[in-house]
Amino acid sequence: MSAGGGGGGAHAAIPQNNLIAFGVVGGLVFIYAAYFLVQIAGPYMSFLGALGAICGIVWGASAVRRVANYGLGTGVPSIGMLAIGIGIIATIFGLAVGGIIGPILAVIFASLIGLVVGFLGNKVLNMGIPIMVQSTTEIAAAGAITIVGLSTSMAGTFMFFDEVVNGLTVPGVATTVMEPGYIAVIFIMGALAILHPYNANLGPDEKQDRTLACAFEKGGIAMIITGIVATVTPLASGTVTIVVGVVIWYVAFSEYYKRVKRDAYMISGAGLLPSKEELE
Amino acid sequence: MIDIVGILADNILTIVLITLGGILISLGVHFVPVGGAPAAMAQATGVGTGTVQLAAGAGLTGLVTAGFMMNVTDNMGLIIASGTIGAMIMISVTMLVGQMMYVYGVGCPPASAKVKYDPITKDRQDLYVSQGTEGHGVPTASYISGIIGGGLGGLGGSMIYYALLSIDNGLPEAKFIGIASIFAVGLFFVNAVIPSYNIGGTIEGFHDPKFKRFPNAVLASFIATFLAAIMGVVAIGGM
Repeated sequence: MSAGGGGGGAHAAIPQNNLIAFGVVGGLVFIYAAYFLVQIAGPYMSFLGALGAICGIVWGASAVRRVANYGLGTGVPSIGMLAIGIGIIATIFGLAVGGIIGPILAVIFASLIGLVVGFLGNKVLNMGIPIMVQSTTEIAAAGAITIVGLSTSMAGTFMFFDEVVNGLTVPGVATTVMEPGYIAVIFIMGALAILHPYNANLGPDEKQDRTLACAFEKGGIAMIITGIVATVTPLASGTVTIVVGVVIWYVAFSEYYKRVKRDAYMISGAGLLPSKEELE
Repeated sequence: MIDIVGILADNILTIVLITLGGILISLGVHFVPVGGAPAAMAQATGVGTGTVQLAAGAGLTGLVTAGFMMNVTDNMGLIIASGTIGAMIMISVTMLVGQMMYVYGVGCPPASAKVKYDPITKDRQDLYVSQGTEGHGVPTASYISGIIGGGLGGLGGSMIYYALLSIDNGLPEAKFIGIASIFAVGLFFVNAVIPSYNIGGTIEGFHDPKFKRFPNAVLASFIATFLAAIMGVVAIGGM
């Protein structure tokens, strides 16, 4: 059973290469900006990490859209879960080993596992999707950027271990995000944000800009939740993250709704359900 | 800087256990009767949702039960058995409730379209398959197959979890229990998706012809899990 997908390449107004650049460069720049500006300007700059995650989410949603259009046979959610599953493994490894180059290492190792899984999918599992290798690589890397970005926004740093700066102990990602279990929130938020846009919009009338508007909107929701968690961590400020998240969500949702109205054949108000008296 | 080679050399057994766990999950998914979207409309045999959701539901329950047992004892056998039983109970309940929906809600008898006779009860199947469908409900063979699959998944998941927590890095377990569990969950999803691509999203159980494809998925899971196991051991061992 192929759940959705026309069995061919997806039509796209924005070329995928631009979105790859948007995801990788935008994601990493925002994550590093969050890290350095939190130290220079103060905890309220931690919202930049979530903006990096939104870049990753939009890129991932676009890659899901391309590969799922071939018909995976298992429904769209499977590939989103795969992305975040690989992303979490690579993120834990990258941040633990990498130190200051942690986010870059996480993206590289996520791409590596994604590449291997995509290759196995085509060669061993005989899936026969031409862009499978490229897409799993992209989706896994996007998953890693999403997780690193949201973690940075929650913790105010992407350093894995606690550090001592000017005599003060600065808790790392391991202490603030992984240990209390907020990583599970990031896990499911990131997976849904990456898989949901195409899953919700698929069909013969699916349009790239509508799907991506939905991805931005999901990113906004993820950012709001990240902000709520950030209110309890010392090095990150939640208020700015929540406010920026709400603004992004509102703008993206308006844009998404505009496109839904544009693509719909007809919109008619059905009114309220008839009351008992009216039915008799 | 983390001494990567030293950590890997100290934890070879852990890597082997994690890889074995990944293979068991991958094999277990092949046993679970998943019908996907067609089954949700009672047009295919199995439970009406995707492989990933079913396997994750059972596997995560297995992790929870294994984690609970870890509070009480350090015995590897008991912890893994607890994880296995937890996953088996979860998948059984899911299939039982799904079955009630099909029988009393939709009003169709459980029947397999892939075999003429149920391999366990020897009941005739093809007479009960509605025209235009590929079977419906969860017949006995699929049910038993599902319990085996859930058990294998829970066994693999709790094995990964136990192996990660038994890494000796000089820290108390409470410091890295979150990392170990989310890492096990991540590996679980990867190893649930790989076999679901292998079977094309739907399978009835061990009597389904698609079941014979499992060596491909086991090979793919072996390679992917082995890579991930090295990363996990280095990350946790270097803490």
